[in-house]
Amino acid sequence: MLTDPALLLQVLWTGTVTASSYVLLTVGFSLTQKVTGLWNFAQAGFMGIAFYAMYFALNHLGLPLLLAFPFACACTIIAALVTEAWGLNVLRARHSSHLTFFIFTLIVAEFIIYWLTLLFGTEPQTLFKSIMSPVHIVWEIAITDWDLVAIGMTAVFVAALAGFLRWTKDGQFLVAVADNAKLAELYGISARRAYYVTAVIAALFITGAMYLVGTRGGITPNKPLELILNAVIATLLGGMGRVFMGALASVVLALIQSYSVLIMSSRWQNLLLYGFLFVAIVIFPRGIHFPKWRKRPVVPAAVPPGG
Amino acid sequence: MTQFIGMDRRQFLAALSAFGIAGAGAGRDAWAQGREPVKLGLTQPLTGSQAGFGADFVTAMRMAQKDINDQGGINGRPLELVVIDTQAQPQLGINAVTRLATVDKAGVFITAWSAVVKAQAPVANREKILQLSVGANSPDIARLGDYVYTLFPLADVDITALAKYTYGTLGKKKAAVLYINNDTGIDAAKIYRAVFEKEGGQIALFEAYDPAATEFTGMLLKLRAANPDVVHIHGLLVDVPLVVAQMRQLGLRQQITSYSAAYNPKMLEQLGAAMEGFIVTSLAPGADENPNVQPHIDRWIKEVGRVPNGLPFIQYNYDAVLICARIFKHALDNNKPLTGENLRDSLLAIKEFNTPLTGKTVIEGHRVNKPVYLVTVKDGKFTPLAKLD
Repeated sequence: MLTDPALLLQVLWTGTVTASSYVLLTVGFSLTQKVTGLWNFAQAGFMGIAFYAMYFALNHLGLPLLLAFPFACACTIIAALVTEAWGLNVLRARHSSHLTFFIFTLIVAEFIIYWLTLLFGTEPQTLFKSIMSPVHIVWEIAITDWDLVAIGMTAVFVAALAGFLRWTKDGQFLVAVADNAKLAELYGISARRAYYVTAVIAALFITGAMYLVGTRGGITPNKPLELILNAVIATLLGGMGRVFMGALASVVLALIQSYSVLIMSSRWQNLLLYGFLFVAIVIFPRGIHFPKWRKRPVVPAAVPPGG
Repeated sequence: MTQFIGMDRRQFLAALSAFGIAGAGAGRDAWAQGREPVKLGLTQPLTGSQAGFGADFVTAMRMAQKDINDQGGINGRPLELVVIDTQAQPQLGINAVTRLATVDKAGVFITAWSAVVKAQAPVANREKILQLSVGANSPDIARLGDYVYTLFPLADVDITALAKYTYGTLGKKKAAVLYINNDTGIDAAKIYRAVFEKEGGQIALFEAYDPAATEFTGMLLKLRAANPDVVHIHGLLVDVPLVVAQMRQLGLRQQITSYSAAYNPKMLEQLGAAMEGFIVTSLAPGADENPNVQPHIDRWIKEVGRVPNGLPFIQYNYDAVLICARIFKHALDNNKPLTGENLRDSLLAIKEFNTPLTGKTVIEGHRVNKPVYLVTVKDGKFTPLAKLD
């Protein structure tokens, strides 16, 4: 079985596609960690808001997806900005410890999930009634329409972020604040604005991810707490502050999980995640860094005496 | 008055009197005197991923409670349900039974979900509170101790019948078993494998998946390589639709079977045409086999606005409350306090119950035996396929 190229390619394709939502969540989580220096677990709550806002708009308000998606983006952005303005900023002003930030974000997530449970119940919900998607067979590989949407959406989001960070002033300010917030402020860059911009970007990525997750299977209010685990592990493995390496790590994690099933029972699939978390924390607390290729120093040609 | 399975008030009174619960007229007078309620504990998941079923079970049991109380209660005493949420989590189940035994002083409780039932059993035996499992199907439940009984046939009943039918009647010789890695899946999967192999069939793949898994492609590609004639999936409402969807999207067209958890209208919505031909077991008669069932479904539509999740389970839960009421009445008629010990004695003394929605229920040891009904999806609807005695 392991030598069947069609099977291996199918796992490669499906594993990569499955990683798309993890990539979006990891980028949102990792970017926030890079710019603000925080492990923002409140994002699990924002994931819940993104999904249920979209679910509410589609199934209760009867809005089309073109309106439901922006509605969910708006709700998630508001939640992220409110948390930033009236939570994290207050803690920063008090010079609170890292532990306080950690506990605060965790409580925000649990608080939101609690409310979502009260409002929407705990039965698994999907954004659309059907979770089936048309299938195309290409070179013996099954590719669904959902797969194409997932890959396309992820590519657009990641490319847009890369462009934003590289070519816009706000993007460059984010990088400057991430490098040294105090130094950046000396140059007139507002760290607070950078934090708000980061919150908005993370909210957009989260909403995109929850669209993908919610159109593929059922979501319960506490599902985001499972999802954020992937983002944390990928951020750790990718290396703190290296957003796109985190995204790559989440793809690698998904592929390892997918391929692992071919040589062991699927029941161990999720246990692998905890194994990676353990390894990441103990052995690679700052992520996996590959040795840099160094150019050989150029030795100046011998100059003949008197030349 | 609330309609009782399609009967009018007089017919209902006669039916309950025949069943031996209502005090035939005497109830109303005593009711007015505000007599001490008879407490029946319910430990069910009202929150968490299984709440879709648990909440509906409680709704069904409240319907039965209302029907009983509307007719004067049990020997004139109102039936009170003490409902505690377990989230289908064993630890919360233990807390719930401890509370029922020590705080509420209930003599009997109805519970569900195999892992919860197993976890609660030591407490029920120690505190001598009668534990009635309705819906959980792990075969171990019949061996959990003196105070643990099931009113619901265990997995060895329907899974055995299904495996035999699949091999014998459907003529499938090579099966794959995909199951959730918890108490719901493990025991049932082992039974299916043992029966199918004993019949002469071959198990081409026997694979467990993590309860939190959402991506099953690797497992399904193993399935493709194994190339079975039939696939039995034993999971829960969250994961079974995902497995089936991903299976069909990978082009795997084999016959799929499952058990009564998959007998759910939500799955039809989520999977549409992918559910065609799907076979599930049902341990309760459908509307075609029992004229009381359709009026009960109509009652759900009228009172709740929809059909219930897991109709066979709903039927058992409704009937379970009637059985408990009968046990209570037996103990009261014999002037015995409603302790777990006395209620267990009453259960064993009565032994045979004619319940309206699931038919005759006979207690045999710590279990019950019932016919198995097979239902298939045809033209987007669950349709009766066979009755296996």
